[in-house]
Amino acid sequence: MQLLLVRDVLDNQLVDASGKNAGKVDGIILELREGQPPCVRYVEVGPITLTRRLNRRLGRWFARLDARFGSGRGVPIRFPLTRITFEEPSLRIDVLVEHTPIMALEQWLRRTIVRRIPGS
Amino acid sequence: MKRWFGVALGIVTSIGGFLEIGSITTAAQAGADYRYQLAWSIVLGTICIALLIEMSGRFAAVSKHTIADAMRERFGLHFFMVPLVLVFFVSLLVLAAEIGGVAVSIELVTGIHYPLWALPAALLAWALLWYGTFSIIENGISLLGLVTVSFAVAAVHLGPDWHALASGLAPSLPSKEPAHYWFIAVSVLGASVSPYLFYFYSSGAIEEKWDVTHLGPNRVIAAIGMGFGGFLSVAVLVVAALVFAPRGIKVEEYTQLPLLLSAPWGRVGFGLFAGSLFITCLGATAEIALALAYKIAQGFGWNWGEDLGPSDDARFSLTYTLILLVSMLLVLVGIDPLKLTTLSMALTAASLPVAILPFLILMNDSKYLGEHTNGWLGNLAILVISVLSGIVAVVSIPLEIIGGS
Repeated sequence: MQLLLVRDVLDNQLVDASGKNAGKVDGIILELREGQPPCVRYVEVGPITLTRRLNRRLGRWFARLDARFGSGRGVPIRFPLTRITFEEPSLRIDVLVEHTPIMALEQWLRRTIVRRIPGS
Repeated sequence: MKRWFGVALGIVTSIGGFLEIGSITTAAQAGADYRYQLAWSIVLGTICIALLIEMSGRFAAVSKHTIADAMRERFGLHFFMVPLVLVFFVSLLVLAAEIGGVAVSIELVTGIHYPLWALPAALLAWALLWYGTFSIIENGISLLGLVTVSFAVAAVHLGPDWHALASGLAPSLPSKEPAHYWFIAVSVLGASVSPYLFYFYSSGAIEEKWDVTHLGPNRVIAAIGMGFGGFLSVAVLVVAALVFAPRGIKVEEYTQLPLLLSAPWGRVGFGLFAGSLFITCLGATAEIALALAYKIAQGFGWNWGEDLGPSDDARFSLTYTLILLVSMLLVLVGIDPLKLTTLSMALTAASLPVAILPFLILMNDSKYLGEHTNGWLGNLAILVISVLSGIVAVVSIPLEIIGGS
């Protein structure tokens, strides 16, 4: 099976092991190796990579903002390509998204705002 | 049996949900200023939206993608942002106009000035979204919208000149004030062909887990539902031509609008108009807020779904909350709902090429649609209508604003 990185991977929907939406593939990381062809290593997900693609300065600003939310934050969220399988119409990643920083904003909004409104 | 019940329900909700402040106001202005001469613009808009609705349902049923999701995937982040930002800002104005419509309908009944009703109106729409399900919004509200059939009854009751109406169905050059004529024509088009509608429809098809077996019913719903919806718009134009034009009334104040039904039926008609405006604008408010939240959530890959509880899709739920809040503020500060409506409908028409052409490319991509890609006739019709309405809108909006003719 032939895979076109930009058409079939970049900007495609990711779902987690339970079928929940886990964001879009916002970036693809290739490793350059001495004397060998480049190798696709990771996909990146989340607003740091997303904003950096729109504008580098905006990306840096967003990363600094994100870093304030705890250790391990402020850097792009990255998954090895080996953890991804291709299942039309999405890419499946073998993690539970609730346990990853992808859902940090969602969880924060849920805790601090949504749960305080009756009927949520 | 269940499938055909679904088709019947789909048709009925399309009819009940067709009219809203945009289509009522623009059709009324067209009838008041040019009698039957602009009926063709409603027919053209209806054909265009019926084609687009059929396409968006087909796209979701075959590809299992919503349109926003596929646009991001197919065109990449940068290009996705262009229609997103444009449709977002235009739809915020349309949303404000709809909230204004709900507020005005309450003013008609209570006599209390509309800005005071902006917050309760937005809150009511928000509560429908927060506590309700997709089918309550799609079916419940649209079923109540069948009250708008009263426009068709009024049109027949008033006895239109059928011959003049028939000749108005063919496009013709303006009899007077050409800039104003084209401005009203594109506003009518913008009111019929609202991009939010097909984002909403394709998301609904995904929420209801459509597959290829839904293609037949989808075609029937789009053609008959939208066709009868357009028929109701023509009815508003006819009533306006018979009520406003002979009295020399130009629709410049929203308080003139109830005359459409109170002229033939007195107090009962007044109540029917207020009820029609309230229910259709409330439905449209909920649908637009939901459609914009869908577009953002799908474009960024979040969890979304009107049938999920708000705490299962916090970003999605707070997005529609924020969208309603911002639009509501425009009404609260007292921007005239009628001016807001006319302008936002014309701006919608101006934005059509950017909103629709990427969708047309998707509809011709066999990666998504396999053997179900568009035929040439559908492509040509949408291409011509959206590009022409974009050009005419860009030319006529400034002319209308500076008052030229």
